[in-house]
Amino acid sequence: MNESSSPHRPLQADLPLAGEVKPQLELLGVTKRFGGVAAVDGVNLRVGKGEILGIIGPNGAGKTTLLNCISGVFRLDGGDIRWEGASIAGMAPHRVARLGIGRTFQIVRPFGSMTARENAAIGALFGSSDARKGPKEAFEIADQVLELVGLKAKAGRPVAALTIPDRKRLEVARAVATRPHLLLLDEVMAGLNNVEIDEALDMVRTVHATGVTVLLIEHVMRVIVGICDRAIVLESGRVLAEGEPEVVLRDERVIQAYLGERYAKRLRASGDEDGTN
Amino acid sequence: MANFVQLVILGLLAGGVYVAVGVGFGLVWGVLNIVNLAHGGLVIVGGYITWQLFTALHLDPFLTLPVNAVALFVLGYALQRGVINRIIRAPLLFTFLLTFGLNLVIINILLLIFGSDFRSVTPTYSGQGLEFGSVVIPYVSLTSLGAALLLAAALAFILNRTRIGLAINAIAADRDAAQLVGIDLRHAYAVTFGLGAACAGVAGGLIAMIQAITPTAGEPYTLQAFVVVILGGLGRVSATVVGGLAFGLVEAFGQSIPGSGSVFANAIAFGLMVLVLVTRPQGLMGRLR
Amino acid sequence: MIATLDSNRRWRRAFLIVGGIIAAYALLAPLTSLDAAVSANVPLLADRLWFRIATYIAMFIVMATGWNIIGGITGYAAFGNVAFFGIGAYTTGMLIAKAKWPFLAALPFAPVVAALFAALVGLPLLRLRGHYFAVASLGVGVAVGELVQNIDYGGQPLFGGASGLFLPIDSIANRGLFFFYLMVAAAAISIAVTWWVLRSRFGYGLIAIRENEEAAAVLGVNTTAYKVAAFALAAALTGLAGGIFSQWNVFINQDNAFPIEYNVQMILMALLGGTGTVFGPAAGAILLQLLIQFLGGTLPISFDLPFVSETARPIVAQIILGLLLVGVVIFVPRGVIDFFGGRSRLSLSYLRRSLRETSL
Repeated sequence: MNESSSPHRPLQADLPLAGEVKPQLELLGVTKRFGGVAAVDGVNLRVGKGEILGIIGPNGAGKTTLLNCISGVFRLDGGDIRWEGASIAGMAPHRVARLGIGRTFQIVRPFGSMTARENAAIGALFGSSDARKGPKEAFEIADQVLELVGLKAKAGRPVAALTIPDRKRLEVARAVATRPHLLLLDEVMAGLNNVEIDEALDMVRTVHATGVTVLLIEHVMRVIVGICDRAIVLESGRVLAEGEPEVVLRDERVIQAYLGERYAKRLRASGDEDGTN
Repeated sequence: MANFVQLVILGLLAGGVYVAVGVGFGLVWGVLNIVNLAHGGLVIVGGYITWQLFTALHLDPFLTLPVNAVALFVLGYALQRGVINRIIRAPLLFTFLLTFGLNLVIINILLLIFGSDFRSVTPTYSGQGLEFGSVVIPYVSLTSLGAALLLAAALAFILNRTRIGLAINAIAADRDAAQLVGIDLRHAYAVTFGLGAACAGVAGGLIAMIQAITPTAGEPYTLQAFVVVILGGLGRVSATVVGGLAFGLVEAFGQSIPGSGSVFANAIAFGLMVLVLVTRPQGLMGRLR
Repeated sequence: MIATLDSNRRWRRAFLIVGGIIAAYALLAPLTSLDAAVSANVPLLADRLWFRIATYIAMFIVMATGWNIIGGITGYAAFGNVAFFGIGAYTTGMLIAKAKWPFLAALPFAPVVAALFAALVGLPLLRLRGHYFAVASLGVGVAVGELVQNIDYGGQPLFGGASGLFLPIDSIANRGLFFFYLMVAAAAISIAVTWWVLRSRFGYGLIAIRENEEAAAVLGVNTTAYKVAAFALAAALTGLAGGIFSQWNVFINQDNAFPIEYNVQMILMALLGGTGTVFGPAAGAILLQLLIQFLGGTLPISFDLPFVSETARPIVAQIILGLLLVGVVIFVPRGVIDFFGGRSRLSLSYLRRSLRETSL
């Protein structure tokens, strides 16, 4: 792979960011290995304050691993992560959360014995350290957040009585209740139907409108095009392409990574015989 | 130097018993995800069968081992089928309490039948051994080690070469998928526990030859079986063999430290376990998942 | 559905009223003189043995409630909490027997030392999960007892060795009554602590850890600190019970300060009553301890087991206890408090449902 000759080469850390915003989050050569395999391999990334950045990529590309690195769930094997200029690499997850980085899990992880309201309240009870609350205020915040994601009517229900889309909403609600400055969303729209996706998009827009930076992993292209300012494509743990969503999704190598080489060739509709691998 | 050699030999010989105790425990843990606190109780049931056959029928204790295996297999199969299968999907605390309760029942039934007197199995050749200069190898220990390795080999054969063994392996890898390809889970689980119990029974026969037994004598072996399995790494018979022999060595050298004697056996076992868990959670022989 | 809730509420009310009356009677009646109880022929209280049993019950309430904080609320299946009981007993015992401290000055050190020890071993142990934590904590319980009995210092056993530790007999007037109320106070403290925990941010964090530790961490819960704190809190309460026990019993050794069966009894009590609740473990402690004493034939109201000789009786009692353990685990996994907490009613279909939920 000769990425350096590509027009969509990975963004270099020293390049100015589109929109000339100061980076809120900065990833420098982030690497995470499992056994001998690098799941994330030298990823550079800058996220500007107030952005909505989408991360796409085929299964196993390292998207969730990257999120786990940022939120402190995994320890880095190389590189650095900076939050507002200071390194947060190696920080425990709860300290990252207290800095104001909230996240959801791809496979939802609700607190099963609690109601929706209590789940959201946990986020408000803990969460970012500049806004921690006691139980009483936490439940008020929980109510506000549940209204925001459209779960107000089901606040008193135990998790077991919630549908899958509702559990995904709750996952977001809990993260939003931590009052994050940056929200990491891991495929919150996977498995939803079109109507539910529209609702979820509105939800993300509403959260974003309150001044939260959003970094989301998504498989659904409609989401990336419909909401993101910028998108990056991960493949085999590396940044394959980066730029405006429409442009990135038309990138030949991205299509190839997603749909296979054959399809990409057919798409080219010419006899151009270059074996990229 | 001779002392060192003696310690190594004694450790490996003692390790035979730990191999026998460990393989059944590890099988049940690995496949059923149950830490069987009744394992020590089952071990001692085996010990009493050997003692009974030896005293009543004057059977050579090594010849009683197959009887132990069969009897304990039946008992284990019934326990799993009738009782443990009923809580197999409950949180681990429940399996702990259930197997502890079973252990309590087993021990006290033994107390009712045999009383709390010490019983020992002493064939004519006990106390004799091979002598190499100052190094002595007791016959009983040597044969025990052989029997334990044979047991491990038999178990490995059953698991890797027979139909039911492959089914058990499939369950250990993925319970739901195993069910989808038509494996009868209840039966396979019961066979697994039966095999674990059979190993415990053989181990009990070996233990009856090297120490006097009482109904409560099995309790330390449960904790030791756990340590052995952790030491070797969960999931393979061969790993447990290494774990058992390693544990025997550690114990032999631990007991040779002047002043400590055998009174700190549990403390040594426990310290070793925590050390392994914290530094090498996959065990000496284990693979990272 | 509504009818069930209503009838449950009625059940619950009746339960609270009856329980309250019994508790008040048990707590206040001893204040009237024993002689009066004897002449009025009031059962139970007329018997001095009953005092002892009631004190034991209070002691188990402390231990079961303490275990509930780490095992029930935090979800870490600690199997070696008896270590904290023994450490508490030996801390107070050593201060009294060797340093000649008065009992009430020595007692506060029992929970402190137990909690410090729990924090120390908790740091490595609480990194383990599931079976690993459970058995490692069981190992701690066994190993501590062994160390206490066998550690020598200058050729002398440091803690009294195998022959145990004798405490000087206190000069407390009416000591049966004194230790009964002291143990009841410890039980009240442990229940109050649980009540507070379940309403605090601390408690919400612990429950979040129990339900999903990783999710709790990314929401900002300092999981390590919370787990260690919960473990230490459980240890402090258990250690307090041990401290009181040492002077009450005057003699401690490995068998009565580190009994392995307490590990399981306190869990069974919490489970029987309902883990994660305020009063569940206490209710379970009362039920199970009365049952154990009843089976053992030590209660003033007694009975003869058919076909069982007097010598075999304790053994048969153990077998029944084991079968009970099996039965509770299989049929009442959420504890009896479930029937009074407004959620379920004791019925055949409930038992069948419990069975179906967990069986293959």
